[in-house]
Amino acid sequence: MSCDIYIVGVGGQGVLTIAEIISSVAFKKGIPCNFYPTKGMAQRGGFVKAQLRLGRKTVGPNIPQQEADLVVSMELSESLKAIRYVKPGADFLLYGSKWEPTAVMLGKASYPALAQVGKEVKAAGGKLHYLSPELLPEFQGKQVRDNLFVLGAIFGSTGVAMGFTAEEVLEDITHRWPKAAEQNLFALRAGMNAAAKEAVDDILV
Amino acid sequence: MTAKMVSGNEAIALGALRAGVKVVSGYPGTPSTEVITSLWNKDLPGTSVEWSTNEKVAFEVAAASAMVGSRAMCTMKMSGVNVAYDSIIGIAYSGCTGGLVIYVADDPGVNAGMCEQDSRDFAVMADMPMLEPGTLQEAYDLTQYAFELSEAIQSPVFIRSTTNVAQSHGMADVAERVLPVNEKPMLERNIAKYTKAGAVIAMNQHRELLERLEKAKELIAAKQLNRLKLSKQPGGLGIVSVGVVNGYVEEALSIADELRIPLPEISSLQLINTIPFAVDEMKQLLKHCSTVLVAEELEPLLENRLYMEAYKLGVKVEFVGKNDATFSRIGEYDAKLVLKGICKALHLTCPEEVLPPVIQPEQHCAARPITTCAGCPHRGTYMAINKALRNLKFKSNEIIVTGDIGCTILGINPPFNTLWTEVSMGASIPMAQGFIYGGVQKPVLATIGDSTFFHAGIPGLINAIQHNVNLTVVVMDNGWTAMTGMQVNPGTIPDYQQASCRQLDLEKVIAGLGVDHLITVDPYDLKATTAAIEKSIALPGVKVVLARRECAIQAARRKVAYEPIEVNIEKCTRCKSCIVITGCPAISLGEHAITIDRAQCNGCGLCMAVCPTAAIVKEGK
Repeated sequence: MSCDIYIVGVGGQGVLTIAEIISSVAFKKGIPCNFYPTKGMAQRGGFVKAQLRLGRKTVGPNIPQQEADLVVSMELSESLKAIRYVKPGADFLLYGSKWEPTAVMLGKASYPALAQVGKEVKAAGGKLHYLSPELLPEFQGKQVRDNLFVLGAIFGSTGVAMGFTAEEVLEDITHRWPKAAEQNLFALRAGMNAAAKEAVDDILV
Repeated sequence: MTAKMVSGNEAIALGALRAGVKVVSGYPGTPSTEVITSLWNKDLPGTSVEWSTNEKVAFEVAAASAMVGSRAMCTMKMSGVNVAYDSIIGIAYSGCTGGLVIYVADDPGVNAGMCEQDSRDFAVMADMPMLEPGTLQEAYDLTQYAFELSEAIQSPVFIRSTTNVAQSHGMADVAERVLPVNEKPMLERNIAKYTKAGAVIAMNQHRELLERLEKAKELIAAKQLNRLKLSKQPGGLGIVSVGVVNGYVEEALSIADELRIPLPEISSLQLINTIPFAVDEMKQLLKHCSTVLVAEELEPLLENRLYMEAYKLGVKVEFVGKNDATFSRIGEYDAKLVLKGICKALHLTCPEEVLPPVIQPEQHCAARPITTCAGCPHRGTYMAINKALRNLKFKSNEIIVTGDIGCTILGINPPFNTLWTEVSMGASIPMAQGFIYGGVQKPVLATIGDSTFFHAGIPGLINAIQHNVNLTVVVMDNGWTAMTGMQVNPGTIPDYQQASCRQLDLEKVIAGLGVDHLITVDPYDLKATTAAIEKSIALPGVKVVLARRECAIQAARRKVAYEPIEVNIEKCTRCKSCIVITGCPAISLGEHAITIDRAQCNGCGLCMAVCPTAAIVKEGK
């Protein structure tokens, strides 16, 4: 079994946290895993990506184009940078949050529409799963972390076989942040349940 | 041995500890930084770990420790080798006693900015062995071997990784640290070895250097670190690869298998190093194969050598690589690229799945120029420079402001668009002088951060002072080497210096050099900073404006109190001045007023200073 996962987003969203949790669970299960983060100047709101290569003994860090078994994007516009990596027929989980650059905010630059991104994913042969940021729930009056919500959605919506279950991820998260366990588990479960509720074809209209 | 989750850089650090390293020095630089950060503040009795002022200093500290018999390592990014090289080549000619290892991380594909240089060429010029781990386990193992090899040949040894190895995380089998051997330092006053006094000494050293590299080649061959596999039938294809590309070759073969591409048995030579050239193994492969594919990122060093060896052997081999334009000298590789090369070498039609898709969705991606963090003191400085130039009635396209390396370079991006140049550590000040010498009549400004100033900025400022140049230098002192993830530098506050280390006061350093005028300002005070820059431009001689305020990220981490900012919705007219002028990522345009993200805002107040309707205020005031 091998599974290549390509995750993109913007610095501050938790792209690397998702990848770190997956690689940590893989490590505990004895599944070979190479996690290659590219953060550049991510702290400052730049492009971030993580490449995870699970289940192969000898592997280069870079996932070749059209070889990812799963693509996860946490930011609408940045999704476009990941499309060329999705294997035709593989899952593409799109969390549609928007981090608009200043020029877009000022109306001086354009920002891609959801329908446009959706079309591109489909044109590349990706199986699109759309997760709306509006589904992000609150826990005790505060919005939960969207990275765990998206991580939950990976298990809830996509058929990707990583070699472990959502329960094992829950366990890792509980140990990782014992104090915030309750709200984190809530966020992860919410993601699992929220996924796949959206009718994908609606966003392409 | 226990399996541990490590990054490539951490594996290097652990390998050095396992080898009993006594001194680790370096200067931060992506993608090499985490070797030292993974050792920082760890309890490592017997081992000194330091962030040095620059890479040359770091190397010299390590080199002299090795001269007296210790095992020592210094770390840097590829640009750092350019800085340290004067001493590296000098020590290569001299040789060493204890194991001396230089770790350099190259960046094919340019993930972190700067030149996409291939540091293997430095190993060629200094006739130094350079080991190139391609996996995390190799990073750990080869680091230990680098010390052994260095001691065996009595010469420094490079370890070179690339970003994708240095930054990858995965499993490696690692063992406990070995304490440094704490013998009496071996004092050896040896002019013939440790000086370059005269032609005889220098040429003897050159001869011995070449002998040491030859010995390294034999030792590496004897240890069979390079993996040569010849097919049963002679003729056919052989693939030569090195470092991380070894993994891509294996992966390419497995993709070929999945795609049912009929491949004949292939010979291979998987190398753990380029320099010294594995000439014996190369010859065996060249005699055996009719076609040789060479897969190496960046420059065709192996490939060119293989051409030469084939010529010397008189064998007729078809080469596939960079010289026939199958591969590029630019960017990083992946398995499909290698597979494309394999198909070409075998004259097979490459299946469509291997070729990159023609779609280019990323062209519609919103541009995301990075800017300074919310609360960054540099924001105030760039706003002040722009305002001062406007107040003095200059147009932005007629005043050259040179930039330097680090967070301060964000002044090239919107909304500031202030800086014109970015060259290398410390280049901003001499370049400003050069523009003036080149005939630029209008004022020229140089900008530089604190760590960069300590690193290589001081000689440039001394030069400007000596030559009485009319120049304004803005030194932006945030107290940290921030861009690489917050490392200490000589100006960092004592609380964060290592025990027994102390802080240097940048203001005293600059004043001590004898600049004509020095004005120290707080860049959160836009008015005062603007006035200081305006005044400096008008004054004659070398003027320095020292803009001092701690990095907002670090101030927040150590919980420096601040007054939160709020928006008076009644007064905000959505004029966007705050967004256009500050570009602060904490501010966004709401439906009725601007909004400020409290999670990001640290109360710097720069948006208040530019709000024309006084709609932005300190909370509760």
